[in-house]
Amino acid sequence: MTFHLHFTGQVQGVGFRPFVWQLARLMKLQGAVSNGADGVHIYINTDSATAQLFLSRVQAEAPRLARIQSVALSEVAPVYYTDFAIVTSQITGQASLLLTPDLALCEACRAEMADSVDRRFGYAFTTCTHCGPRYSILHQLPYDRQTTTMSAFGMCTDCEREYHDPANRRFYAQTNSCPNCPVELRLFSASGQQLANHQDEIIDYVADALGAGQTVAIKGIGGYLLLCDATNANAITQLRKRKHRPTKPLAVLYPNVATLQQDCYLADDERALLTGSVSPIVLLDQRPNPASKVAVDKLAPGLSQLGVMLPYAPLLALLANKFNKPLVATSGNVSGSPICYTNEQALEQLPAIADLILTHNRAIVVPQDDSVVRLSPAYRQPIVLRRSRGLAPTVVYSPKKKESGAGDEVNTTTVLAFGASLKSTFACQLRGNIYVSQYIGDLESYDTQTSFRATLDHFLKLFDATPDLILADQHEGYFSTQLAHELATIWGIPIQLVQHHEAHLAAVLAENGLTGDEPILGVIWDGTGYGTDGQIWGGEFIAYQNSVFNRVCHFDYFDSLLEDKMPREPRLSALSLAHNIPGADTILRVKFTDKEWHLYSKLPELSNEVVGCLWPMSSPITHASVNGSHAAVWPMRAHATGKNRLKTSSVGRLFDAVTALLGLADQVSYEGEAALLLETHAARYVRAKGYTGVQSYLPDVTTQIPTRAVVEGVVRDIQAGQSTDQIAAAFHYTLVQVVAALAQQTGIRQLAFSGGVFQNALLVDWLRHKLEPAHKLYFHHQLSPNDECISFGQIAHYALTTPL
Amino acid sequence: LGHGSGGLLTNKLLEVGVFDLLSNPLLDTHHDGAMLNLTGRVAFTTDSYVISPVFFPGGNIGELAINGTVNDLAMCGATPKYLSLSFILEEGLTMAEFWDVLISIKYASERAGIQIVTGDTKVVERGKGDKIFINTSGIGQIHPRANISIKNVRTGDKVIVSGHIATHGMAIMSVREGLEFETTLISDTAPLNHTVLALLDEFGPAIHLLRDPTRGGVATVLNEIARDRNVGATRLGIDLKQAAIPVLDEVAGACELLGLDPLYVANEGVFLAIVAPEVADAFVGKLQTLDYGHSAAIIGEVVAEHPGQVVMTSRIGGRRVVNMLVGEQLPRIC
Ligand SMILES: [Fe+3]
Ligand SMILES: [Mg+2]
Ligand SMILES: [Zn+2]
Ligand SMILES: [Zn+2]
Repeated sequence: MTFHLHFTGQVQGVGFRPFVWQLARLMKLQGAVSNGADGVHIYINTDSATAQLFLSRVQAEAPRLARIQSVALSEVAPVYYTDFAIVTSQITGQASLLLTPDLALCEACRAEMADSVDRRFGYAFTTCTHCGPRYSILHQLPYDRQTTTMSAFGMCTDCEREYHDPANRRFYAQTNSCPNCPVELRLFSASGQQLANHQDEIIDYVADALGAGQTVAIKGIGGYLLLCDATNANAITQLRKRKHRPTKPLAVLYPNVATLQQDCYLADDERALLTGSVSPIVLLDQRPNPASKVAVDKLAPGLSQLGVMLPYAPLLALLANKFNKPLVATSGNVSGSPICYTNEQALEQLPAIADLILTHNRAIVVPQDDSVVRLSPAYRQPIVLRRSRGLAPTVVYSPKKKESGAGDEVNTTTVLAFGASLKSTFACQLRGNIYVSQYIGDLESYDTQTSFRATLDHFLKLFDATPDLILADQHEGYFSTQLAHELATIWGIPIQLVQHHEAHLAAVLAENGLTGDEPILGVIWDGTGYGTDGQIWGGEFIAYQNSVFNRVCHFDYFDSLLEDKMPREPRLSALSLAHNIPGADTILRVKFTDKEWHLYSKLPELSNEVVGCLWPMSSPITHASVNGSHAAVWPMRAHATGKNRLKTSSVGRLFDAVTALLGLADQVSYEGEAALLLETHAARYVRAKGYTGVQSYLPDVTTQIPTRAVVEGVVRDIQAGQSTDQIAAAFHYTLVQVVAALAQQTGIRQLAFSGGVFQNALLVDWLRHKLEPAHKLYFHHQLSPNDECISFGQIAHYALTTPL
Repeated sequence: LGHGSGGLLTNKLLEVGVFDLLSNPLLDTHHDGAMLNLTGRVAFTTDSYVISPVFFPGGNIGELAINGTVNDLAMCGATPKYLSLSFILEEGLTMAEFWDVLISIKYASERAGIQIVTGDTKVVERGKGDKIFINTSGIGQIHPRANISIKNVRTGDKVIVSGHIATHGMAIMSVREGLEFETTLISDTAPLNHTVLALLDEFGPAIHLLRDPTRGGVATVLNEIARDRNVGATRLGIDLKQAAIPVLDEVAGACELLGLDPLYVANEGVFLAIVAPEVADAFVGKLQTLDYGHSAAIIGEVVAEHPGQVVMTSRIGGRRVVNMLVGEQLPRIC
């Protein structure tokens, strides 16, 4: 009898076929295994009981990085096999598997590179079936050497032998290469002159340059990175200047865990993240006196955490080891533009920033930034700040999939969702899976728009997908929404617009598998989202039950001033909220020049006509979006009633106001800067005193949340001489209390949190401390609470509100 | 006018005053219409002028009404010849204010070399107008070497601006009621016809397109061009270099203060030219020697890369899409 086993999920590029081969040999089975676009197919000659046993052993013993999603076992027309073989990939069936993300350098490969007698000693592209690039080099499915950019490289006889040796770790390792059949490094000066020739010389040359304070661009896994000496304040200042990135934190690459631990506190869960197959940037608490003398003030000004990473690629490992000190490692781009990933782009654009450019000839197909993750200090809640290399584009959740059927019951509508704007992603519901793209970037940038289109095209081609329905945000000023309209017209398919904060809520519901039979209260706080009343929402309580979303209440509206300028300048949020609060003007006044004050102090009272005239003259999309501004706001005025002033309920802006009133930041240069500074101060308070000793600025909240009263309380405490840490903590506690009060009033016990505000680890901890276990709290796990989750949320929203 | 201004003046008397001041042989015939001799290709345009405030640093609505129509003719490659002039005045406008406007009109039309050949005045009740509305229509004779058409624009053409942008809009903004802020900015309203005609003499058909970026600013006009050329066989876009765009420091400061983008702010004495690349440098060189053209600069290029879109490379090297304004219509003032 011949049996066919079909495995779907993340089963390619993880050593699955070699594993099957070994198991089959072990069980003395004859047959074959191959990759298809729809997963892995196995044929074996055996009896039914053995086939069943074989299947369960595959499931139980599969490689660590494999994620089996579905299995199907069936008897087929007999075929006689004489042995068990790995056969050429078949392009059969519709592509439906999970794409394997890029895998960080494994320990075995790391050890070989360090072993002076190993043939891969010091080789910068050492990989095996357990590690190396995957998604970033993939042209086409199924995953095979010929469908990746490794197709340009032949294998030497030694590599061939490994590749065909079932006992070898590189048995069917598609990224296999060695110094005899190498991926080749090339080093260029900023003027385009080629320097040094051999790999060892190149690494030495680069390490020396770094030691001399130079900036080096280096081709990594998802694109180019910029490196400089993290202990050299001048080098960092120079990099910041060239990159036009004045204060945004820079990540630091440590050669190994030991040196990292001398600078930062490292818990076991954080270590597991850093050394695992994802190996993202992880935010860690800095030690007071870092042994490496890393220039922390220059790296993360005003913050107590540092973003760190370990060498996840062999080339990075070689350099980090050679240099043996922490290195700044930040994406290779001009601030606001997408990461450079082709050699041409790098040689054209990066000389403006880097003194040396280190390239190689293994092409990158899909650009990705480094993922960024943090863990909340007390409850160890994982918070994804950026989901990209190593995490994307794996599936998160399968909507309304009936467990019983062998994949036949899945929703067959192909839905493509376009997400938001500042943290753009797209998502696709396809053949029973939902794929969420990596973070693509701020769609204000033309190059990011181009990259968004290209990534989308690549995805659709990879899966040969033809969407039936398009989903997008209701903000007509978003590029993503405009593109969605354009493609819906071209493809002749319908488009539905999803309210921004409902999408946030749907995302966190779906990630947690909540279907809404029981009522759930969504706490959706962010910087900016288009509201159905034409105002800027961002401090929302939205109840959900049985397919119905209901905006229960929101932070009281306050004036949105000077639109694009407001998120860039927290002092304007302070002005909007604190103006006319007794005594506040003296705090506010010093934040403005005479000229600004003369003008701005009139803004809150200005007639609608005058102010109305200001908006349409400015760009409809922000050009320097920071701090939770998802993009420009004025196009929504088209839908606002009459000439009413634009209002906002944004908690992001409330954070800004408090931060500015406390004198921590009047203007910011990156999104979330004000909130991060405020969290840093509040966390310092909590570390010293715990969750006690502060009072809420809103002792009696009803379903009306008086935003200005929070600010009044802050002003009062500032005047009373309370410490900044104490006030920052009281503000966080106030927000916790607001949630508690609303939970009590609505009587809803399940609470779900989404929106950029919940990147705040202290707030997450405090909510859990206050509300558990009386309430059940749900957060994002795999996706970021910021707008990266919107595309997924749009699909989840559609799934929740559309009968199957 | 009307009450409180010695208001014995009737419409009739008012018109006589206008006629006297603006006197010229054609106007003096007092026919129901002007009878003109025209030969060859003719350009014809009309525009209505409403602005708040009526008097602003560097000018007033009268001057604007003449220059605006003169410039519209110049943008067609035409020598402005004849103008009609109609007022809608709101009761409450003082005689003194009205005469100031009239005198500006007289000087502006002389400066531009255009004859006002017909006109009309109406007075409306208080509250039914905004002090003063002016409509002007103009007729001009197209320069023999001019071949201005959006169809002539092609890849590689250079985009040239004749002077500092956004000055007019910010001068107006600085005196807008309720918003007043201190600047020394004055409107750059000016007749551009002499400058343009001198360029046409020299560069003729190498000048592919001329536009005055008034309401909606440079961004709007360039987007209109890109949009109009986003159809057909050769679809085109426009690239801009932020660093090359001339903006007075004080204007940039005022824009930053108000959170405005100078690209969207209205201009008056400024025009955009799209010219063949071979003549671009010579064109700018010449323009810089002419009235109102001293700060002329090449600010961008017509490209095939992103049809329908205007993309600007910022000073720091990032590129962003300069969008067409969407949503609410542009307000009537600004
Ligand atoms: Fe959001
Ligand atoms: Mg006009
Ligand atoms: Zn490995
Ligand atoms: Zn080899």
